[in-house]
Amino acid sequence: MAIPARPISRTPGRAAPPAPKVDYGKKFGFAPMPESVRLLTEMLAKRNANMEDFAKIVAIDSSLTERLLAAANPRATRKEDYRTTTVEDAIQRVGMSFALLLAMSEPLTLAVYNTFHTMLSIDLTTVPLKDMEPFTDEHVLGEVTFEGKTTGLVDIRLPSASILLFGDRLLGLTPDDLSDPAIGNDVVGEMCNMIVGNFKSNLCDAGLDCKLSQPNITRTTDFNLQAVKGGTSERNAFHAEEIDFFTDLSVNPWVDCKL
Amino acid sequence: MSKILSVDDSKTVRMIIQRAFRPYECTIKEAGNGEEGLAVAAIEKPDLIILDITMPVMDGVTMLTNLKKNPELKDIPVIMLTAEHGQENVANIVSLGVRDYLVKPFKDAQIVEKAMAVIPLQARAEAVPVG
Repeated sequence: MAIPARPISRTPGRAAPPAPKVDYGKKFGFAPMPESVRLLTEMLAKRNANMEDFAKIVAIDSSLTERLLAAANPRATRKEDYRTTTVEDAIQRVGMSFALLLAMSEPLTLAVYNTFHTMLSIDLTTVPLKDMEPFTDEHVLGEVTFEGKTTGLVDIRLPSASILLFGDRLLGLTPDDLSDPAIGNDVVGEMCNMIVGNFKSNLCDAGLDCKLSQPNITRTTDFNLQAVKGGTSERNAFHAEEIDFFTDLSVNPWVDCKL
Repeated sequence: MSKILSVDDSKTVRMIIQRAFRPYECTIKEAGNGEEGLAVAAIEKPDLIILDITMPVMDGVTMLTNLKKNPELKDIPVIMLTAEHGQENVANIVSLGVRDYLVKPFKDAQIVEKAMAVIPLQARAEAVPVG
């Protein structure tokens, strides 16, 4: 008589231990998000942000602290002229939503640096907005929106000549090759996709799951900073030897909260 | 000669892939979305697929799922090439069976190096390899 097979158990009476969690960032070499930004975004995702804890995390990040204090002292041209000098006071002055926006724009800025460096061999520097000439004529606008646990948009504003630069550096294309606008749009669209895709992955890792739209590339003369409903917005300026441009980030971090 | 299929909705990325592998004895086939990718894979039987995630018509995750269900195509190695690297997303994709994962932005040499770990690539006699 055949004896039915019994399942083999190495540790009778005990459930198998869960498989160890793989760190895919390490395994595949993804760049990590700054610790302070990760903690702040996680706090936001858990919907338990409070002023004291928030201020403690901001204070460990000197770059974020500097940007926050600058935002809280908009008229000061030197640090010596700051009237708001502590992180807590600065958060109270600008509001927690704007402070969160500043934190969230850090991974976006890192993604911009990384994409330009890797794909175009261009090393960027950030420039104070007051030192940059706004675009007064037609420019290229690459827009990507994101929706989910947080909602927002990223606008990348580039001078028209940037298409020639991108096409040349990325693919060795000539101005003749780029006379078809579809090719230039695709080049700019892919740059936007790389930048915002990385930014979105950072948000998802911190618990703010969201989905991206396809990049929409247009020409516009409208230089106004856009804002999503209920959101706050920030503009950053970048400079390299051949190109000056802007990124706008607008975020509503409380989109699923009843305030 | 090795055959590589590049599936990406961005012509720019497909052109970068063409450039990256130009110094090597291989042919590159292209598709602009997952549906086209499955069709080209069925005809061409490539030795390697380089696959994006976010694409219109059919995304890369759906294409990968369908590829793995097809007995004739399931053993073709796949390298993901995408800007998305959220841990949960990557874990889900890795569980479907991919050989490697490269995050955009990327250098030509990086994708070539990952491909070389999967398929044999010989430098063309007249060309200087990347990297």
